[in-house]
Amino acid sequence: MSGTILEIRGLVKHFRARARFLGPEGRPVRAVDGIDLDVPAGGTLGLVGESGCGKSTTGRLALRLIEADAGTIRFEGEDIREASPARLRALRRRMQIVFQDPFASLDPRMTVAEILAEPFVVHRIGDAPERAKAVRRLLDQVGLAAHHAGRHPHEFSGGQRQRIGIARALALDPALIVADEAVSALDVSIQAQILNLMRDIQRARGLAFLFISHNLAVVRHMADRVAVMYLGKVVEEAPRQVLFDAPLHPYTRALLSAVPDPGGERRERIVLTGEIPRPDDPPSGCRFRTRCPLADAHCAAEEPPLRPRAEGHRVACHKVP
Amino acid sequence: MSALLEVEGLTVRFGPFAVVEDLAFSVAPGEVLAVVGESGSGKSMTALALMRLIPPPGKVTGRVTFDGQDLLSLPERQMRAIRGGSMAMVFQEPMTSLNPVFTVGSQIAEALSWHRGLSGSAAKAEAVRLLSLVEIPNPAARVSEYPHQLSGGMRQRVMIAMALACNPRLLIADEPTTALDATVQAQILDLLRRLRAELGMAVILITHDLGVVSDFADRVAVMYAARVVETAPAAMLFADPAHPYTEGLLASLPRMGGDIERLHAIPGQVPPPFALPRGCRFAPRCEYAKAPCEQALPPLIPLGPARAAACIRHTGYELVP
Repeated sequence: MSGTILEIRGLVKHFRARARFLGPEGRPVRAVDGIDLDVPAGGTLGLVGESGCGKSTTGRLALRLIEADAGTIRFEGEDIREASPARLRALRRRMQIVFQDPFASLDPRMTVAEILAEPFVVHRIGDAPERAKAVRRLLDQVGLAAHHAGRHPHEFSGGQRQRIGIARALALDPALIVADEAVSALDVSIQAQILNLMRDIQRARGLAFLFISHNLAVVRHMADRVAVMYLGKVVEEAPRQVLFDAPLHPYTRALLSAVPDPGGERRERIVLTGEIPRPDDPPSGCRFRTRCPLADAHCAAEEPPLRPRAEGHRVACHKVP
Repeated sequence: MSALLEVEGLTVRFGPFAVVEDLAFSVAPGEVLAVVGESGSGKSMTALALMRLIPPPGKVTGRVTFDGQDLLSLPERQMRAIRGGSMAMVFQEPMTSLNPVFTVGSQIAEALSWHRGLSGSAAKAEAVRLLSLVEIPNPAARVSEYPHQLSGGMRQRVMIAMALACNPRLLIADEPTTALDATVQAQILDLLRRLRAELGMAVILITHDLGVVSDFADRVAVMYAARVVETAPAAMLFADPAHPYTEGLLASLPRMGGDIERLHAIPGQVPPPFALPRGCRFAPRCEYAKAPCEQALPPLIPLGPARAAACIRHTGYELVP
């Protein structure tokens, strides 16, 4: 295996809208519309974009929690879309997900010990004493005390619940974790604790993250590479430093300029007019053209491919030289 | 310059617990004061208390002087004329604050008829003018639409238009951009900045987002566990925070400019209102805390003409009466 743990090519997911009451049948929502991504082994790919751009759908597709319509998803070289149910179950030990709302993703009737032991039970690993030992080790790794094991999720704060969510994801020693807005619901002082924890665990275990977030400053802190999505497409992808210091796509530039930096200089803002078009009715050609200050007739006629501009820097724009 | 709003000893209690305690601040005409804090700090309760919207069994004490009137002792009839009149409020979630079964035009017209006695075509014309004031494209058509037909950003613009209906002298905005995407948040902040300059209204901005504060506020009050721990001009607060909590918050933020290897995480968590420490409420998490900090609640200690911090480190750990 070279440097890539997860390789996504031509990934497509269209959600079919249900027919409306007495209305015409809805058009499919093109949530993810042909994207390529690589998550480096032991590293972090940040996936950013605004609501409805398809970033969360991409995270769920990557683990086959929902089925893609087209494309390949290779995890450690193996196409998980081709995997049998039994094989997929085995693969899932190695790929986990942490969600935004830790409360909604933890069973309120189970104790923390039961929540953390469940993966071992599901995969028939170890006996009761071994599982209890594993639970203690997991609690320790995420900074919770052994006496927390007997408590229920509602007895914990948001930050502690997210620690439980991370401990559960770590239980079976995964190689990849999809973190979907994992710190978005947390206050900043707690957010810092969890981001530090995720980094520590990544270093200690050589974990890879697909780190999905709308928070650009957080992604800038966590990621090695960053991909920017807009309406189901990746519009730019680059090493972290390059993307944040020298973005090329007009959408990336506007997005970065929209984030106020606390205490920093008030930057020149590229104000985008209008809002994100509906994903069931995207514009022709380049999907960003309706809000783009550079758009011309070419952009309406032809969709720009994601083309390499420099080493490891890809941009989908006709107007970028 | 005399203050537009003067708050002294404002306290909100639910049973034995104070969720807002002994608040004092003032807002000058045309000034933007940001009230910052994490969840549960009491910032939203402060906003509701100013509007006299604290639900029972909450009890509000202290003094709130607005435009020379003592709001807390005003009869409800007169308070109703002020609320939505010279003092208006915008909430975080515009969808839940708008009535889904009425058009946006009729909801704006309701405020106009209540406060300004406008009706019929005069109210409709004024509603259209207000929608164009908040830069809603094609206001003459939008005025007949229902809230669900508008995007989140457009709904927040409608809320702002309703708040502006009676030319308020003070706008209280509670997390007005928190539910919005970065590019739309930038648009709304630009709009608020323009309206504030054009209409000369003062703004109290309630937020957890220090980036938004830095972008928009003149002055900041930082809240922690129901109390204000620091007030300062915004630029000063970011350049040289005087309270350890403010300092910790700023250090725990991932930044768009400059790389930090490891975020500063404030250890522990905010104490709940039923388990507050006896002395300084931040002392258990504070790296500067010494024995005197645990003796008594520190008052806001003036540090120059425009700033104050509730931290006895600035008096050499001497408890001040």
